[in-house]
Amino acid sequence: MKEKIISLIEEVLNLPAGSITEDTIIADVEEWDSLAHVMIIGEMQEKLGISIPVDEAVEVTGVAELLEKAGA
Amino acid sequence: MPKIALLSNVNMNMVIRMLQKSAEVWQPEGYGNELGILMNPQSSYQSFGAEYTFLVLDLMELLEHDLDEKAAEPRMGAWFADLESALKPERMYYISDACLWGFELAVLVDQGKKALLEGLWQKQLEALCKDHGNVRILPYRGLIGTLGEENAFSLKMWYMGKVLLSNEAQRRLGSLILDRLRIEMRTPKKVLVLDLDNTLWGGLAGEHDITPIKLSEDHGGLAYKNLQRVILQMQRQGVLLAIVSKNNEQDAMEILEEHPHMVLKPGDFAAKRINWKPKHENIREIAEELNLGTDSFVFWDDNPSERQLIRDMLPEVSVPEFPEKPEELAPAMTEIYRQFFAAAAVTEEDAGKTAQYAANAARRELEQISGSFTEYLKSLEITITRVRPEKQVERLTQLANKTNQFNLTTKRYTRGEMALLLKEPEKRVYLYQVTDRFGDSGIVAAAVVDLIGSGAVIEEFVMSCRVMGKNVEYGIMDDIEEDLYHAGCDRVIGIYIPTAKNRPVEQLYGQLGYHPVELSEEEKMAFNIGGQLKEEGAVCYGLSLAERPGRIYEARMEREV
Repeated sequence: MKEKIISLIEEVLNLPAGSITEDTIIADVEEWDSLAHVMIIGEMQEKLGISIPVDEAVEVTGVAELLEKAGA
Repeated sequence: MPKIALLSNVNMNMVIRMLQKSAEVWQPEGYGNELGILMNPQSSYQSFGAEYTFLVLDLMELLEHDLDEKAAEPRMGAWFADLESALKPERMYYISDACLWGFELAVLVDQGKKALLEGLWQKQLEALCKDHGNVRILPYRGLIGTLGEENAFSLKMWYMGKVLLSNEAQRRLGSLILDRLRIEMRTPKKVLVLDLDNTLWGGLAGEHDITPIKLSEDHGGLAYKNLQRVILQMQRQGVLLAIVSKNNEQDAMEILEEHPHMVLKPGDFAAKRINWKPKHENIREIAEELNLGTDSFVFWDDNPSERQLIRDMLPEVSVPEFPEKPEELAPAMTEIYRQFFAAAAVTEEDAGKTAQYAANAARRELEQISGSFTEYLKSLEITITRVRPEKQVERLTQLANKTNQFNLTTKRYTRGEMALLLKEPEKRVYLYQVTDRFGDSGIVAAAVVDLIGSGAVIEEFVMSCRVMGKNVEYGIMDDIEEDLYHAGCDRVIGIYIPTAKNRPVEQLYGQLGYHPVELSEEEKMAFNIGGQLKEEGAVCYGLSLAERPGRIYEARMEREV
């Protein structure tokens, strides 16, 4: 599931495979702005059925945290 | 691709981001404030200069969740009034039809309310479209309906960033917008050529009695009937139908005329070729009969070898694939409509097209029995009416852009350019409607004239092939020249720029009594036609209005007041 989430993020951000790792911090990725973040959270729900509560989703700062909240 | 903008009262920035991959899209700061952006003359939207502006509105936000219709109607009215005041005639606008969505609707006892409120929006939107030819409806509600509300909206994204639509719905909205643009930019086809056996009905005509062909109210027979319903609707919206089929004519006509489940009737077809000749020859004949180029034809036949024949012999004809199963027939035809025929705007002329082409056939018959040509023209009782172009920008643009044969310079105009041109004091735009005893041919001719001092340059002159061959153009030219003369003109310049298609009017200016002239560089500059005359084969003609020749035509000239 971790790999699925990471490749979904890469797809939304239009980045080549391998650009995003578990250690990636959102603030370091230029393409990962607040709008892209909304789309990633939405896409995780639409495509993978993973629902992260809204207030937690907006607080997420990095991939590791996102994976943890997703239970992956 | 034209420049576009997408405005909304909710966050559509992700759709904008998607669109930016394939078009030049205005980048808003933040989201919402759609009316403010439109109305503020200093906004970056204005300086961007979008040719197409798409407004996708969430009705619930617009109503601020107040579902009382007494409050809703004036609220919508105020929105439309503001919008109307901000419209620019040279720009195109697409506005979403209403889709009211919100969780309180699920507990609403009065289930009619949603439809009522959406209806109020629809009514005002349709009224706006009627008054403004540059405003069109974006079928947003249909998009939501196809996807279903559950899949189209995302509460999570709404709460996170006022993004109303799910990612899937946003992608579809992006595609819908691009599809609209494609339809705006391409020239639609005009004629749908259909086979009969296993195309309009299942089975073969003549093999049995009339009933065993598959065409009925159930099973596969209903699939063919539904296909015919789609085709009939297309015909009513201006698509010309033709039959090219290998059958005994009598067998086929018997079904066409008498089968109880035939939706399409013989009169719905502008031309028929039911014989054993090769199909490409029949198509060529039909093109000649309808006076249309074969490049405006789409050919549909269940037989792959016939489709291949047309692809080989007439590569300019579009030949879509044919579905495997009867249940796929109606959807396949709607796809053909979308791909080849859908027009951004349907004009009144489109609706009566088949009747006009049928009337043309009757006119030709009369031509054969009339003794002399002038007698024939007289018997037609032609009336040429000069109509006011301001209210007909749609038709005017369509005429200028779709006419290939009777088109002297083949200059193309966008709707916006045409709207601006109508306001220029030194330009004169002439538009004519032609009727005769067989019916109304509609608005069929237009000319754009540039007044320069005491001279005038006809920068464009087009006429629909529907009225060619009746010397209508002589009457029109007389009318234009008289008007120019009264405006203080003494000399008219006409230009012919040859293309692959406009050979029929190569000699027009000569026939009208104009003489080829060589203009000096100063004159070319003064008349602003240096560029046009550089086109290969361009010929310049001139006529002194004091020496106008008499022209032979038979028509009553009228003017719309």
